[in-house]
Amino acid sequence: MISFRVDSRSVAPPYLQIVQQVKQALRMGLLDVGDRLPAVREVVAATAVNPNTVLKAYRDLEREGLVEARAGLGTFVRNLPPGPPPGTHSRLGRSLARWVRQAREAGLDDESIESLLRVTLRTAAEKEEIA
Amino acid sequence: MTWLVWRQHRAQFYVGAALLAALAVLLLITGLQMASQYHSAIAACTATHSCTNQGGLFLGNRAVGFLVIMTLGTPVLAGLFWGAPLVAAELETGTAQFAWMQSITRRRWLAVKTGWMLLAAAVWGGVISALVTWWSGPNNALHLDAFNPGRFDIMGLVPVAYALFAMALGIAAGALLRRTLPAMAVTLAGFIAVRTVIALWLRPHFMGAVTTTYNLIGGYTPPGSSWQLASGVLNSNGHPVPQVNGVAAFGIPINYLPASCAPLNGGATTIAPSCRTALDSFRGFLTYQPAGRYWAFQAIETGIFVALAAILITVTAVVLLRSDA
Amino acid sequence: MTTIVKTRELTKRYRQVTALSDCTVTVPDGRICALIGPNGAGKTTLLRLLAGLARPTAGELAVLGGIPRQDPAFLAEIGFLAQEIPLYKRFTADDHIGIGARLNRRWDAASARDRLRSLNIPLDRAAGSLSGGQRAQLALALTLAKKPRLLLLDEPVAALDPLARRHFLATLAEAVADGALTVVLSSHLLADLERVADHLILLAASRVQLCGDIDALLAEHHVLVGPRKDTTAIEKTRTVVQAVRTARQTTLLVRGNAPVIDPDWESDEVGFEEMVLGYMGQDAPPPIAHLTTVGEDQ
Repeated sequence: MISFRVDSRSVAPPYLQIVQQVKQALRMGLLDVGDRLPAVREVVAATAVNPNTVLKAYRDLEREGLVEARAGLGTFVRNLPPGPPPGTHSRLGRSLARWVRQAREAGLDDESIESLLRVTLRTAAEKEEIA
Repeated sequence: MTWLVWRQHRAQFYVGAALLAALAVLLLITGLQMASQYHSAIAACTATHSCTNQGGLFLGNRAVGFLVIMTLGTPVLAGLFWGAPLVAAELETGTAQFAWMQSITRRRWLAVKTGWMLLAAAVWGGVISALVTWWSGPNNALHLDAFNPGRFDIMGLVPVAYALFAMALGIAAGALLRRTLPAMAVTLAGFIAVRTVIALWLRPHFMGAVTTTYNLIGGYTPPGSSWQLASGVLNSNGHPVPQVNGVAAFGIPINYLPASCAPLNGGATTIAPSCRTALDSFRGFLTYQPAGRYWAFQAIETGIFVALAAILITVTAVVLLRSDA
Repeated sequence: MTTIVKTRELTKRYRQVTALSDCTVTVPDGRICALIGPNGAGKTTLLRLLAGLARPTAGELAVLGGIPRQDPAFLAEIGFLAQEIPLYKRFTADDHIGIGARLNRRWDAASARDRLRSLNIPLDRAAGSLSGGQRAQLALALTLAKKPRLLLLDEPVAALDPLARRHFLATLAEAVADGALTVVLSSHLLADLERVADHLILLAASRVQLCGDIDALLAEHHVLVGPRKDTTAIEKTRTVVQAVRTARQTTLLVRGNAPVIDPDWESDEVGFEEMVLGYMGQDAPPPIAHLTTVGEDQ
């Protein structure tokens, strides 16, 4: 069972944070098809957000086809979000961690790493357009 | 709600009960002693036919006697420590509002609290009065002073009424002032003021007093425990002779009397004929309430204080129930 | 959706002072309604009127479909938690639960005890010796145990540390999630309210400035930033809530959804805190995020 974190300071409104965290959990393989999402009551007890916020998030996920609500039983995962299979994220995350270690050893600080990442993404996007 | 009142005032109840028990033990022991003292003294004087001279006999213990006089103050204790905080403390701390939001109407809350407290006050006053009245039996028979202020107030029915009044006053003061300490101050001051006014200025006039004139040489004492309000000597014109602290005989200043009366001031028992003639032109007067009216007076004063208590409780109800919480 | 609270031109005067004036609000069922306003704006007065602890001077008021009255059936449906969190100092939590059981018709002692145990609040210690946060939680547990339909809270978290506040609000939200409970909660802590509330009543100067669903209200408000110039055209099509004018720039908090045609104006979404501060008075500072370097006052 996953737990949610709702950050007041985040730019994203609470319900969106919940939606994103569910999707992230699905991508990371922490949630699988058939798993039950935490009950509204439990989420509310843990994060002190309004119950309607959680309901809104779950409804959004339902509209996207990722979950379905079963009356009296809870909300269950129906599909995985499109994208690479779960595990890909963890695998890539691990190799990214290795690269970050190398970058740090080379003397790059976080800002440089971020700007390097942005430039690389942009270059890759341009290359895809040309291709 | 009754359970809540009990839980809140449990400690006070135990303290009160303990005090009453201690008083009861003390008065029972000394009272029995005094009663037997009295009966032996009566038996002794009956044998010697000298029972009229027993007024000077002092029964019992001075300390206990003092304590009995101090029971004058016990009614106001009920008002101070149980009555004043009853509503005031709960308004001060906000627990009144807490109770009112527990599905209990303000009217019920006030009625149950006040009802039990008034009952407790009546019991408090009544038990002390019963003990003191019983204990005072021999003294009353000896000194015939039950109707006098100071004795009248601690026996019979009136202590119950005083306690009810004090309790009602405390509760009302608490409801109006909404703070315990000011309510206690007002209760104490108010109780003393009302009691003083009624005892000193109203009580003598509950019923028209009886005035008798009598021959000075014979003297006159109304039978039983009467309440003597005023006494003195009237001259032949019916005007009162000024009472002085100096040399006097039969209450008349010696300069009003012929020289033949002078030995009377020294304690002589024979009266010269010329003195006797002079004395005959004076008459003693006594204004008093007869002993037979004792219970009527008790009833009237009880009625007054119970009525005052009822008014105070009504005021409390109006203040608490009509206004905003 | 039923309306739990409905007032119309509700007014409360205390001798010379008008505490609340022409207050018209509604609170639908199942909401957590934030009651916001500067001190003295009438928040406590409104809550007391809703609870039946005070009577209105003028206007109408319907709570749970009826007028608040001294009647056990009505009192059973309302929970009120005053700012001072009154509890019997010498009584333990268990004693309080016992009192509640005897005075209330509906009483769920088990849930109260469970709640307190899960928060590690001792049941056998006198209430006077508990910490502020523990007392607030005890008072809340007692109020919830009577299973009211409407819960009125007057700055209940003001004196609590952040963790205690979080627990308190979580407990509250959880109770609403369980169903059949509406909450009206006054507080100054906008961050907390933004998180837990979905309805808003904003009072200022003893009057209602805003009342409604928070998401809907936020959608209706925008911040318009533009050069310093005449704003009459804008004012015709929407309500200007607050205007901040520097030497070269004008920032407007507006309400209304008419599209902005004038290209000089840049329209932005407004955050909860910004919107609330905009209504709370001209003394409130202007929205910091929109003071750009162009034309900034020296």
